[in-house]
Amino acid sequence: MQIEFELVTYNEALDTFELDETMYQMEISDEDAQTYELLKSSDLNLYNWLKESEQFINYIREEIYPDSDKKKVAISDINGTTFRRFYFFKVTSGDSHYEYFKKLFGIHEESDWQDREEIGEEILESLLVKRQELIINLEVNTMDDNIDEEA
Amino acid sequence: MDNKYIESMLSEMDKDLSAQGMSRRDAMKLAGLSSAGLFLGATSTASADEEKIVKNDAKAKIVIVGGGLAGISTAARLTLNLSNPDITIIEPEETSASYQPGQTLVGAGIWDADDILYKRDDFVPDGVKVIKERAILFNPQKNNLTTETGQVITYDYLILAMGVQLDFERIKGLEEAGRAYSSGNNDKLMNALGDSICSIYTAQGSVKTWEIMQKYIAQAKSGKKTKFIFTHPSTPIKCGGAPKKIIYLTNARLKEEGARENAELTFYPNGGAMFGVPEYHDAIVGQFKREGIKHHYRHNLIEVDKEKKIATFDSKWQEKGPWDPVMKDFEVIPKHEKLRVPYDFLHVSPAQIAPREIAESDLGSAKGWIPVNKETLQHIRYENVFSIGDVAQVPMGKTGGSVRKQYKVLVDNLIAHMNSKKLEAKYAGYTVCPLITDIGTVMLAEFDWTVTPTPSFPLDPTVERWIFWLMKVYALKPMTMYGMMSGRA
Repeated sequence: MQIEFELVTYNEALDTFELDETMYQMEISDEDAQTYELLKSSDLNLYNWLKESEQFINYIREEIYPDSDKKKVAISDINGTTFRRFYFFKVTSGDSHYEYFKKLFGIHEESDWQDREEIGEEILESLLVKRQELIINLEVNTMDDNIDEEA
Repeated sequence: MDNKYIESMLSEMDKDLSAQGMSRRDAMKLAGLSSAGLFLGATSTASADEEKIVKNDAKAKIVIVGGGLAGISTAARLTLNLSNPDITIIEPEETSASYQPGQTLVGAGIWDADDILYKRDDFVPDGVKVIKERAILFNPQKNNLTTETGQVITYDYLILAMGVQLDFERIKGLEEAGRAYSSGNNDKLMNALGDSICSIYTAQGSVKTWEIMQKYIAQAKSGKKTKFIFTHPSTPIKCGGAPKKIIYLTNARLKEEGARENAELTFYPNGGAMFGVPEYHDAIVGQFKREGIKHHYRHNLIEVDKEKKIATFDSKWQEKGPWDPVMKDFEVIPKHEKLRVPYDFLHVSPAQIAPREIAESDLGSAKGWIPVNKETLQHIRYENVFSIGDVAQVPMGKTGGSVRKQYKVLVDNLIAHMNSKKLEAKYAGYTVCPLITDIGTVMLAEFDWTVTPTPSFPLDPTVERWIFWLMKVYALKPMTMYGMMSGRA
């Protein structure tokens, strides 16, 4: 089975994300395909599974960004499941994104009083933390490498 | 108290009950008058548990800032649960224990001011010390705080329960009103509001609300078209139903006087719905329609001209924005403009904020509220600090009904922490709002963080019922003042 995915690159200095705008494809094993089927309806579980996958990270390191070992990236789309709102959410974003993040971050809208802008700011505050969990650091762990070399 | 309504309701109740072969006493028992444990969100198991309190031998100096319902109930519960309690309450206001949920009823002339006035010292549990001052400086790194006279109070555990401040001064034209608390002397606020603006959010203000309401009901009765305006602010507020309750009661009083046709009642809430729970929202919209009460969402009161009797609102709406190619969705653009609305009678539900001394301390969050774990009520940075009630940053938790659930959780967790145990008690967000929809009917809105109705009774929670009115008028106050304040209900 193949998975199709897109990436965003993270600019640490500016704390911004940029779409890579290339659709990548990677072949996964039958066992991974089964895992994918189990996780595909749960977007963040799917994300975390891929983020922890050595095969996936190595594919990005070796096939996509072979010359950028200090690069930080994040997944923007996997087989039609999108994560773009994590990186590009704005106070003016559409209602569906508000609903998604309110549920994710446990923001209980007391619609008696809360403004869209206020909830939007709250979402952005929570995203500052959440985004860091999603970022994939492509830097090779030099300490481990050294140990390997010494061994 | 206005006995006319009570007699009429009791008579109606007796008729209904006898038709079902039930006595009034049995019905009251069912409603919880005799057994607070069966009342509102409680279970029979919880009731049984309460009878088996085993005193804990852990020792610590516990300081509670705030002597309202939350602070005193917590002190009482700790006193029941600890063998050697060392508890100090810091509270300057001698009427801090007054019954705030009754302010709506006072505002509509159903209760008198004396019906809600209670003194702090009558409820402070035996052995609990009281410092009759305001805490003005907090130093959580050193486990101490300073009072307004410079007393430095140290603690092992700190419980913050000082409620909210009513921020009238942010409304242009009412700057001289300053900030107020619900209880105590609010002469400055009353003077600033004048003769046509009122608010049930203070005890004194609720008395004045009834005076002003009668004046404008009389005006409507005389044949003059009279505009009644009601607001709901842009901040979290205590008892989110209160701004609507006073509308319903004004409506009821107008009908009673035969003056309704000359009155125009309009509600200007800041938010975009009547209630956070869709089922209750729909019910309220239906009630407004039935009663001919107008409403305009997304209006926040920002200015009043007391001489010309003009209320100015920040009116907000949204427009479809440009296509966002990255998010693959249309943006939504917020817009706003000022809207000037003439009024005869203006009821203000003020913005509500955390007390300045907390907001400016290391204990407060960016918005001022005290950031706690919403389930354990423990401060997110200081493990020996807990918070409860209106000042705690807990979603949908600013009601006495929430406090009733919170204070037991807080006490269990605090004692667990004193014993170096895991904090296992959890607050699930239960909130109750007995929404008075008329004189004689209440819709009992109960819900939690699932944002769905969580009724305690096997009845449709969106239906207005007289039994809940009786509960509101008769049962809730004794349960609160003598059940919760003694740490038992």
